[in-house]
Amino acid sequence: MSLVDTQEGAVRGPRIPWLVTFLARRGLWALITLIVYLAVVFILIQVWVPFNFATPARLAGPDAYQAALEALGLDRPLTERLFEFVGGLVTFDLGTSFTGDPVTTMIADTAPVTIFIFAVGALLAFVIGESLGRFGAWHRNWPTRSILSTIGVLFTTIFPPFLVFLIAFFLRDPFWDLREAMGLPIDSLEVWRDVAVEQNEVMLLMSLALLGAVIGGALVRIWAHRNRVRWVAASALPVTVVAAVVGVGLAGFGAEAIDLLYRSEMSQTVATGSPLLVLVGVVLITFGQVMFMMKVGIEDERNEDYVLTARAKGLTEEVVRDRHVARNALAPAIAGSFLALPTIIAGMVIIEFGLEVRGLSWAFFNAVETQDIPLIMGVLVVLGVMGIGLRVVADLVIAYLDPRQRRA
Amino acid sequence: MAVVTVPRRKSRRVQPMANAKLVSGLALVVFFLLLILAHPLFQATIWDREFRVYDPFIGYDTQVVHPAGPSADHWLGTDSLGRDVVSMFTYSARYSVVVALSAGLAIGAASLLFGSIAAYKRGWIDSVVTHFSDAMVFLPALLAVYIIGVGQDPGEFGALAVGVTFGVLYGLGPATATVRAAALGVMAKPFIDVARLAGAGMTRTVTRHLLPHLVPHAAVQAMIGVAGAVTAEAFLAFRSGVGDNIGFGYLVFEGLTWGELFAGVLETPWWVMSTGAAGITLLAGAFFLIGAGLREIFDPHSLDPRKVD
Repeated sequence: MSLVDTQEGAVRGPRIPWLVTFLARRGLWALITLIVYLAVVFILIQVWVPFNFATPARLAGPDAYQAALEALGLDRPLTERLFEFVGGLVTFDLGTSFTGDPVTTMIADTAPVTIFIFAVGALLAFVIGESLGRFGAWHRNWPTRSILSTIGVLFTTIFPPFLVFLIAFFLRDPFWDLREAMGLPIDSLEVWRDVAVEQNEVMLLMSLALLGAVIGGALVRIWAHRNRVRWVAASALPVTVVAAVVGVGLAGFGAEAIDLLYRSEMSQTVATGSPLLVLVGVVLITFGQVMFMMKVGIEDERNEDYVLTARAKGLTEEVVRDRHVARNALAPAIAGSFLALPTIIAGMVIIEFGLEVRGLSWAFFNAVETQDIPLIMGVLVVLGVMGIGLRVVADLVIAYLDPRQRRA
Repeated sequence: MAVVTVPRRKSRRVQPMANAKLVSGLALVVFFLLLILAHPLFQATIWDREFRVYDPFIGYDTQVVHPAGPSADHWLGTDSLGRDVVSMFTYSARYSVVVALSAGLAIGAASLLFGSIAAYKRGWIDSVVTHFSDAMVFLPALLAVYIIGVGQDPGEFGALAVGVTFGVLYGLGPATATVRAAALGVMAKPFIDVARLAGAGMTRTVTRHLLPHLVPHAAVQAMIGVAGAVTAEAFLAFRSGVGDNIGFGYLVFEGLTWGELFAGVLETPWWVMSTGAAGITLLAGAFFLIGAGLREIFDPHSLDPRKVD
C-alpha cells in the first residue's frame, strides 16, 4: 500500500494547479488566434477592398490621385505596410488616421463605453437567456415554449436599424423622464461643472467596480460552495454587485455615473443616445441565441440516467433542473453561444451607431464611409481582442464547471 | 383461442414534420416564394397598367397625398415618392432569395470542403483549418461585407456578390468549426475503417462515407448563416440607399429618412419601414427556424464538446 503511494507520488512530481496550465494553454491559443485574425483583417482591408481614402481624388485627374496615394503612403509595397502594421501592434501604436489623428488616441477615447456595453451586455444577456432557456426547455406545455421561441427568434433576427428605431421611439422619453424623476438636471454640463475628473476616468471606475464585483462575487461563491455555506454562495454575487454600485455612489460619483448612462460625451445634445439604451438593444439581440443553445443542451441532458436517479430519490423538479441538468447543459451552451458572436458584435456596432453613442462604432462607421484604412484596422483589432478575451473568460468558466475540460 | 397482440415497435425514423420550428420556417419560406410570384400576377391582373401606378420604381398615384397610409387601393400604403409599398415589397423579395440561395450554397460548400478535409487528414492541415476557423469566428461577416461593399453600386456589388462574400466569410468561420467537429465524430466510427480496409482511397471515403453524414450539419449552419446574410444585404441597402436595388433594407432606409426629413410636417410613414423590417425579420427568422429545427432533429449533441470529440 505504502509502496503504491510513493510510486504514484514519484511519477507525479510537483503538482501545478490546473488554473496555471489551463491559462497558459488558452493564452497560447488566444495569441495564435489573434495573429490569424489580424492576418485576415490585413488582407481584407489592404488587398480586397477596392476603394481607398484617395479614390475621390480621381475626379481631379490621375496625377492628383497619384499624389494623394503617395501622401497617404498607399503606393508603398504591401510588405512594407505589413511590417509597419506589425511593428505598430507590438508597440501598441496603431498608426495615424488619414485624417491626421493618431488612431490609438481616437480608439482610447471611444473604446471604454463600447467595452462597457459589450461586457455588461454579454453578461446580462447570458444570465437572462440561460434562465429563460432552462425554464422554457423544462416546461413541456406548448404555449410557454412557443411564445418563448417566437420572441427569441424575432429578437435574434430583427433588423438592427429597426430595433434602433423602436428603442428610440418607445424607450427614449420614459428613460429621460426617469432622469428627471431622479432629480438630475437635464443638462449634463451642470452635473459635471464642479467635478475634477474626466468622464473616461469615471467610466473606468464604473467598469472596474463592476468587474471587481463579478470576479469577487464569483470567488466568494466558489469558496462558499467548497465550505458548504449555502446562504453565502447564493447571495455572494448580488451582494457584491450592489456593494459596487453603492461604493461608486459613496465615492462621490453617483450623479456622474448615472449621467454617463445617459450620454457618452458631454457635448452631445440632450436628445442623443445613451449607453444604457444600447445595452438594452444588445441584450435583446443576444438573449435569444443563448436561450436556444441552453434549450438544446437541456433537451440533450434530460433523458440521461442521472435525472431518473435524482427524481427517484425524491428531489424536487426545481432541484433536478437547476442543480443537475442545467449545470451539465451550461458548458455546451456557453461553447455554442460563441458561434453567434459575429452576429452579436455586428448588431452591437449598428445599434451603438444608430443611437448615436460616441463609442467604437462611431469611429468605425466614419472610417468605413471614407475608407480610412488605419482607423478601420484599429477598430477591428480592438473588436477582435474583445471577442478573444471574452472567449478565454468563458473557457475558464466552462473549465470550472466541468473538470474534464481542464485538461482539454 | 387467445389472440396475442404483438406491440408494434415504435418507428425510429426521423419525423421532420413533427418539428414545429422546421415546419413554421418552411411555411414562411413558401410564403416569400409566393410573394415573388404575386408581383407579376398582380401586375397582370388587378394593378393598373396604363398609368403604371403600381410600378415599383416610378409608380405614382395622383389620387392621394403621399405618403399615404394603408387603404383599399394601397394595402400597405405608399411611400414618400408615391410608390405602392406592396409593389416594392413583392418586387424586392426576389433579391433576398438570391442572397439566401447564394449564401447558403457558399456556406455549405466552404464548410463541407474544409471540415471534411481537416477531419480526414488530421495533422497540420487540421491544425491550420481549426485555427483559421477559430479566428474567423471573431470577424463579423456583416461588417466585413459592409467594408467591402461601401461605395460600390448594386451593379458592382449586387445581391449575388453580397450573398457569396458573406457565405464564404461565414462558412470559413462558425460553419467550418461545427462541421469539422461533427466530421471528427464520424471519422471515429467503425464503418470508416471498414471502407479503408476495403481499399477506398481518400476521395471515395470522403465523398461516399463521410460527406453524407455531414450534410445535415452543414445545412444547419447554412440556414443560420443565411439568416445573417439576409440581414447583411438589407443593411448594405439601408446604408447606401441608392441605385435600382429596392430591397427590404431600402424600404427601412426610405421610411426612416423621409420620416426624419419631414418630422412634424408629414406623418412618419411607419408602414414603409415596418413592412421592410418585417420582411427582413420574417425571412431571416424563417431560415433561423429551419436551422434550429434541423439541429434538433439531426444533431442534438452538436454543441457538447464531450460528446463530439
